[in-house]
Amino acid sequence: MDKLMDRSADIGPFVPLPDDDMIVCRCEEITKGEIRRAVHDGFRSLTEIKRVLRNGMGLCQGQTCSRLVRSIVARELGVKPADLPMTTARAPARPVEMQVYAKEVR
Amino acid sequence: MKRYELIVIGAGPAGLSAAIEGAKAGMRVAVFDENARPGGQLFKQIHKFFGSKEHKAKIRGFRIGEMLLKEAEEAGVNVQLNATVLGIFPEKRITVRFADHVEQFSGDNIIVATGAAENMVLFDGWTRPGVIGAGAAQTLMNLHGVQPGRNILMVGSGNVGLVVSYQLLQAGCKVAALIDAAPRVGGYGVHAAKVARYGVPFYMRHTILRAEGKDQVEGAVIAEVDDKFQPIPGTEKHLDVDTICLAVGLSPMSQVLRMSGCEIDDTPGGLVPKTDAYGETTIPGLFAAGDVAGIEEASSAMIGGRIAGLAAAHRAGYLDDAAFEAQAETARASLTQLRQGMFARENRGRTDLTETEEGYALSQNLLARGYVTEEELKAFPAASEKRGGVHPVIECTQNIPCNPCQDACKFGCIMVGRQITSIPQIDHEKKCTGCGMCVASCSGQAIFLVDDDYDETRAAITMAYEFLPYPEKGQKGTALSRAGQPVCEAEVLSLRRSAATDGTALLTIAVPKEFSMQARAFAFDGGVD
Amino acid sequence: MTVTDKAEVVIIGSGVIGNAAAYYMAKRGASVIVLEGSEIIGNGGSSRNGGGVRQSARDPRELPLVMYAVENLWPGLSDELGMDVEYCKKGNLRLGKGEAHRKILQGLCDRSTAQGLDVRMLDGDEVREINPYLSDEVTCASWCPTDGHANPLRTTLAYYRAARQLGVRFYTRELATGLIMDKGRLRYVKTACGDLFEGDTILVAAGYSSRALLHTVGIDIPMNKGLLEAIVTEAEPPMFEQMLGTAPADFYGHQTPHGSFVFGGHTGMEPYFGEYAGDGLNPSQAISAPTAARAILNFFPRLKNTKLVRTWAGSMDECADKVPVMDRPAEVPGLAVACGFTGHGFGIAPAAGLLLSELVLDGRASTLSLGAFRYDRFARPAD
Repeated sequence: MDKLMDRSADIGPFVPLPDDDMIVCRCEEITKGEIRRAVHDGFRSLTEIKRVLRNGMGLCQGQTCSRLVRSIVARELGVKPADLPMTTARAPARPVEMQVYAKEVR
Repeated sequence: MKRYELIVIGAGPAGLSAAIEGAKAGMRVAVFDENARPGGQLFKQIHKFFGSKEHKAKIRGFRIGEMLLKEAEEAGVNVQLNATVLGIFPEKRITVRFADHVEQFSGDNIIVATGAAENMVLFDGWTRPGVIGAGAAQTLMNLHGVQPGRNILMVGSGNVGLVVSYQLLQAGCKVAALIDAAPRVGGYGVHAAKVARYGVPFYMRHTILRAEGKDQVEGAVIAEVDDKFQPIPGTEKHLDVDTICLAVGLSPMSQVLRMSGCEIDDTPGGLVPKTDAYGETTIPGLFAAGDVAGIEEASSAMIGGRIAGLAAAHRAGYLDDAAFEAQAETARASLTQLRQGMFARENRGRTDLTETEEGYALSQNLLARGYVTEEELKAFPAASEKRGGVHPVIECTQNIPCNPCQDACKFGCIMVGRQITSIPQIDHEKKCTGCGMCVASCSGQAIFLVDDDYDETRAAITMAYEFLPYPEKGQKGTALSRAGQPVCEAEVLSLRRSAATDGTALLTIAVPKEFSMQARAFAFDGGVD
Repeated sequence: MTVTDKAEVVIIGSGVIGNAAAYYMAKRGASVIVLEGSEIIGNGGSSRNGGGVRQSARDPRELPLVMYAVENLWPGLSDELGMDVEYCKKGNLRLGKGEAHRKILQGLCDRSTAQGLDVRMLDGDEVREINPYLSDEVTCASWCPTDGHANPLRTTLAYYRAARQLGVRFYTRELATGLIMDKGRLRYVKTACGDLFEGDTILVAAGYSSRALLHTVGIDIPMNKGLLEAIVTEAEPPMFEQMLGTAPADFYGHQTPHGSFVFGGHTGMEPYFGEYAGDGLNPSQAISAPTAARAILNFFPRLKNTKLVRTWAGSMDECADKVPVMDRPAEVPGLAVACGFTGHGFGIAPAAGLLLSELVLDGRASTLSLGAFRYDRFARPAD
């Protein structure tokens, strides 16, 4: 069973890196170190990391950072990026003011 | 709820082409695009496209955009601009955002042609102002006439990085370096050669370590990488730049497809819908075309769009089986032509190619430094054969899908053959008149006319010249080598522009005879800017 | 058959209920395995709800649980679990416009007051004293000062993290497909990928999926799959801290510490959409975001230019009588059941987890009675 399924499988200790304070998600200002730390806290799916840290939850909804986050998490877990399913895409594809959404023609 | 027989999302090359086919077949079509102008990225493309005549080769991208818009208008396609599709919901319903309201529509068929977005790469300072995408740089220059910066580092040697570097030079910017972590130039060699001959240094196996500066980019540090793409300590190099331009790939903007519930493939090129040969996803009647279905050139996107449009028209009963199959087959054959050669999808990322399909040794210098050496060119007859009088020299050394040079020569001097990825050959039996049509037609600016007998001591060289101000007859300047190094003094003999050459300026310079196979660019003293 | 892993307790479902139960069991030293069918911990309704920690208008059978949790569990939860669950105990306003709404709210108020909850009616001006951003059209509200909200995403994952630290083994992509008896006692769980897990007790806490799974040992919990939808906005400066709801129940929600608003909405079509939407997709309805936006702006005109950045949908396990089953069916020794939380399981989750740990480890819940949540309460009594 792989370490994505078996959440107790060892992935080694968290080792601080010099670029841990680099921002990865610009919208929510989440750093590489926070993402790596979350992996060592047991969060091994991109969705869990997003829910804990808020990366990809901002105005761009992960358009810019989702691939970057995936490669950081994959490296930390020692898996291929493709082994980590992307988070879900949901409407609206672009941010919309409430009053615009409220004015609906069916 | 308002229902259309065909809804097209995105009015770029794929979407417009899809809408045109649907409308021509008789469908009621609506096209929604979130931008203020139609055409997608086409209007930013001032370079000439590749392919053959049917792919609109040798025509500049923005002209293709104009042609497509005209065709759409004639077919009765109505493009709704500033209309953002927010989502695709069950039963093929979509919500569209207009200026002050949203509207729900349903489509018997929906073709998603939302294109792609630029990838980013992480390095220290990547969020600093002055770090921009290559596409953004193109928008600034080619739509708004604004220089993105004065002194630029280009990251990425794919076609986007190469083409935009050249455009930056055209806009009067200095490109301090073009770097790529890969060991080989990723884009077409002819695009690289255009940049290299104006002096842009290529640093392959290099990555960017950091953007320097306090509030904005004031410099960049690059370093060489090892086989595992890790920076090698001690190889750091500071570049004095104010702008860092990222051309590190595109990702399909497949969000609306992903929310639709159709099956998605997680590919190295991004999340793309699983589709059949016509672009239909696993949801019947929901199609994808263009970059959103997998990143390719705009020429391929236009054909992909047409195929999806035909399939939608067939599905809606506007094309019978025979008509549909015939038209789709023609389109597919045309697509197949573009998808051959060294840059075909299945060859992407290959590093083991050592020779062309014809058996010529591939230029390693081109892959490492962006230009072919004179020595390497000797393997290519069309590039190296010297003879008396005016004749073409074709420095086209890779199997790329392109053949306008063959059509350009009225006298049959140049042959590509049926396979459009073949390297052009010259038939020396046929007389070259020096008309320059081949030079003007070459999208890669890889054809030169060389006349070794211009006068007693000098040879005349004709090349495409795309920088302002244009040189005038009698002016003196410097001839540059393929590497962008000064070779010798050059005198401008003529500068020709005519409708026949699509406005492309053909510059003829005179250089001492011994430099006729070295001088490949012209600069006023002090360089092109 | 070889057993992949075994423990005293195997919990099926890593939602907030399963994770909380695992945590409280592990805290008492039990060995516990949690099986999750998807690749994501907390993939179901636990991560797709409005985050209300609400006592007011709560079903009388659930009220003791949530009152206990608000008094004893929620306030210290972030410290206990070592991760901020963003619990905010600043009250709940249930808003009304006009007399019809007032009557609804008064009825809800009277019912809760009878069970000892501090909840009272306010007039429009009193409401706007608490929340000055509300529309002038608001004429009344019920006010429960000890209600609040928390972050369901973080709460679910905080229980997971803490349980994992206490040695609970979590397995994802282990979709339970069958419960297997051994000599008159439930002992094994088999999964879609062919693994087998063994436990002295097996707690089924898998939301709506529990129903099909329980069928494999002849137990049926009458549930429907309902849809629950919500919207999220961009961050705004802090405006208010209460949980909001309305008498017509057309929206509910709060502002998070991050600044974004999370609002749930109702189109009225949810009961017909959950089943239809199928498993895994949780698609939103096209009309949901516009409907929610209208409902919100009716009470909250200030948010008209706030951008909505995301919508989401989840399915809930809607039980026949709208409260959950938490029981050990005597007819299947070794089985424990926790499902049917009907979309309001989040607020009671800490209490439910604690009581389930007692039910499983001691044979009965001692802190509070689970008598109202028996599995066999649905059938009419025999004559």
